[in-house]
Amino acid sequence: MTALAVLIVAGPLAGPLAVALRARARAAGLAGTAGAVVSLAAAIVLLATQLHRAPLRGWGGFLYVDALSGFFLLTVAGVTVLAAIGSVAYLSAEEDAGTLRPFQVRLYFIFFGLFAALMLASLETGNLGLLFVLVEASTLASAALVGLEGKARSLEAAWKYVIISSLGVTIALAGTLFLFYAGSALHLSSDQRLTWPYLFTHAAALAPQPLRLAFLLAVVGYGTKVGLAPMHTWLPDAHAEAPSPASAMLSAALLNTGMYAIIRFLAITQARLGAIFPHAVLLAFGFASVVIGVLFMIRRGNFKRLFAYSSVEHMGIIAVGLGFGGVLGLYGALLHTLNHAIAKAVVFLGSGDVALRYRTREAADVRGLLTAVPVAGGALLLGTLAVLGSPPFGLFLSELTIVRAGFAQAGPALPLLLLGLLAIAFIAFARTTMGMVTGQEPAPADPYRGRAAHWSRTIPLAVGLVTLLALGLWIPAGLNTAILHSMAAIS
Amino acid sequence: MEKLAATSPAGVLLDLSGVVILLLAFACLGSKLFNRYVAYYGAQSVVLAFAAAVAAWTFHSVQLWILAGFTFAIKGIGIPVATRGLLLRRLALGRDTAISTGLSTSLIAGGGLTAFAYLVTRPQLLPHGVVAAAVVPLSTAVILLGALAMVVRRHTVAQLIGWLIVENGVFLGAITLVATFPFIVEAGIFLDIAAGVLIMLVFVSGLTRQLAEASAAELRGLRG
Repeated sequence: MTALAVLIVAGPLAGPLAVALRARARAAGLAGTAGAVVSLAAAIVLLATQLHRAPLRGWGGFLYVDALSGFFLLTVAGVTVLAAIGSVAYLSAEEDAGTLRPFQVRLYFIFFGLFAALMLASLETGNLGLLFVLVEASTLASAALVGLEGKARSLEAAWKYVIISSLGVTIALAGTLFLFYAGSALHLSSDQRLTWPYLFTHAAALAPQPLRLAFLLAVVGYGTKVGLAPMHTWLPDAHAEAPSPASAMLSAALLNTGMYAIIRFLAITQARLGAIFPHAVLLAFGFASVVIGVLFMIRRGNFKRLFAYSSVEHMGIIAVGLGFGGVLGLYGALLHTLNHAIAKAVVFLGSGDVALRYRTREAADVRGLLTAVPVAGGALLLGTLAVLGSPPFGLFLSELTIVRAGFAQAGPALPLLLLGLLAIAFIAFARTTMGMVTGQEPAPADPYRGRAAHWSRTIPLAVGLVTLLALGLWIPAGLNTAILHSMAAIS
Repeated sequence: MEKLAATSPAGVLLDLSGVVILLLAFACLGSKLFNRYVAYYGAQSVVLAFAAAVAAWTFHSVQLWILAGFTFAIKGIGIPVATRGLLLRRLALGRDTAISTGLSTSLIAGGGLTAFAYLVTRPQLLPHGVVAAAVVPLSTAVILLGALAMVVRRHTVAQLIGWLIVENGVFLGAITLVATFPFIVEAGIFLDIAAGVLIMLVFVSGLTRQLAEASAAELRGLRG
């Protein structure tokens, strides 16, 4: 079992290893993809076995995998596979086009592998201090990806990202300290006082005042990584300037990792202080994020920024789901993390093809995608519908669950507000993307003539969309059990 | 360190170090020359290393001794020297002109934040009589001052140092509030900081080459 957990983290490192062995871009990409697939397979096996056993523990609490970790591991490993396949196509094309030098391509595969491995590792640790260390390390690895192109704009985005996120995560560290302090009265060793399962079982003995402060600091700190408003300001820049597969990783994997950390703190806080205080905090940050996300989506411009603001909105929806609480709220929030991750991976990977072909990231300059690049255009159209929560895609189901949770837990006002905001988001987002996919393609000044393998562009889009559709129509029994077990692990 | 009384010699020393660290944070906030800014940060880290050594000596903790050594070598000497050599001298940075408020305004705001830190952390949070009750408000104030420096200063180098001041504040809180923080975690935090500073140095020099002057005031390309 421990070997399986190690394999999950080690899988994505195949890419950096291949680069170290002086493989060329394509080979490194394929190695990274193979590693990611191994990692996903291991995550599925681990989750499946985990459902019938006690949580996996080892190394003095530094390794701890329960159903919740397993569920997030599945999401992140799945997204890593999609993004790794997409990377092969995107990076080869960028190299052929001369945008990136071979050295930069090698750097990309090194940091992509490290980034994925660090995120997966942070989901596997039960030690909240180590969680901070790994989350901060993953920030640094992904900042290198954001600044990869080395242009003024991408360096600016990378700078904003690294400085705001580092500050945010440092605040989360202060929260972790106060949590540690809150456990002063417990007769536990210092390692155990930072280890989640011990803290959770002994939550009743934690000091309430420091715990309250710890939760607030953790939400603000890790919320910076999640992109909760008003700490979201790095997010649109980083997502817009990173290479598209890296944007997919940021939006679909990194934000979820931050949310995972918040859920861990939420579970402890809820067990000691009751639901009212943590739920109020999450509802406040959640609604702020939905409002900010929706407002900035109205503006037309860079389409990757549009997708990024949609991520802010969706993270807000997940926080609102957690804030509504109850069985429905928690179920909806967890399901939404998975659905949103897959949908955003599809949309960002599709947008990568668009950016390559049209050499622009401005929505107004892109028209006629459906005729020009049917695969990417179609994926973008369907992905848009999925992201906006139209039936029959999975996000419809999870958003509906969250709204129902609201009616059950918080009265009609808040869920109705959420529905109203979702409607505005629908119009704003669809207005831009519909303009992109329909119409006549403008004559390209500098048509793209890459020889990137076709399969590596199509596969992630097709797999992602089929999964989303399947999740909207039917939740597999195994996944349902996994989510229910995850909920049991934290309540 | 929950049991260390504020009146014990070690408690007094820690308290004193906390005060000096806070004063040095103010000095950073108020200095206009990059050289001094970085030097004050280095001095602050040296005092922090001293505080860690006091804690290590009191608790006979080998791990804290190692941390004190790391703090002295990396934060006290390594980072200031690297920043001077790689950034200030090579990029010929002298005066920081990209400050969004006057220095006196930011110092007054810093005073307000310090009062706020006392208000938030003093009353019910910590039992009276232990040294943590005296030092945690100080460390909270240092965190807020570092954040303030990041807000009012728009130069990338100044923001980098601001983040490191925040980090120092957290570390000061850590050694007094919870001296028994697991060593692996502390070591990991150090590794993160070192890697973070390295990667930020790369970004700053890249940006400087691109923009002639890497002032975040000019980082206005990405908006909305």
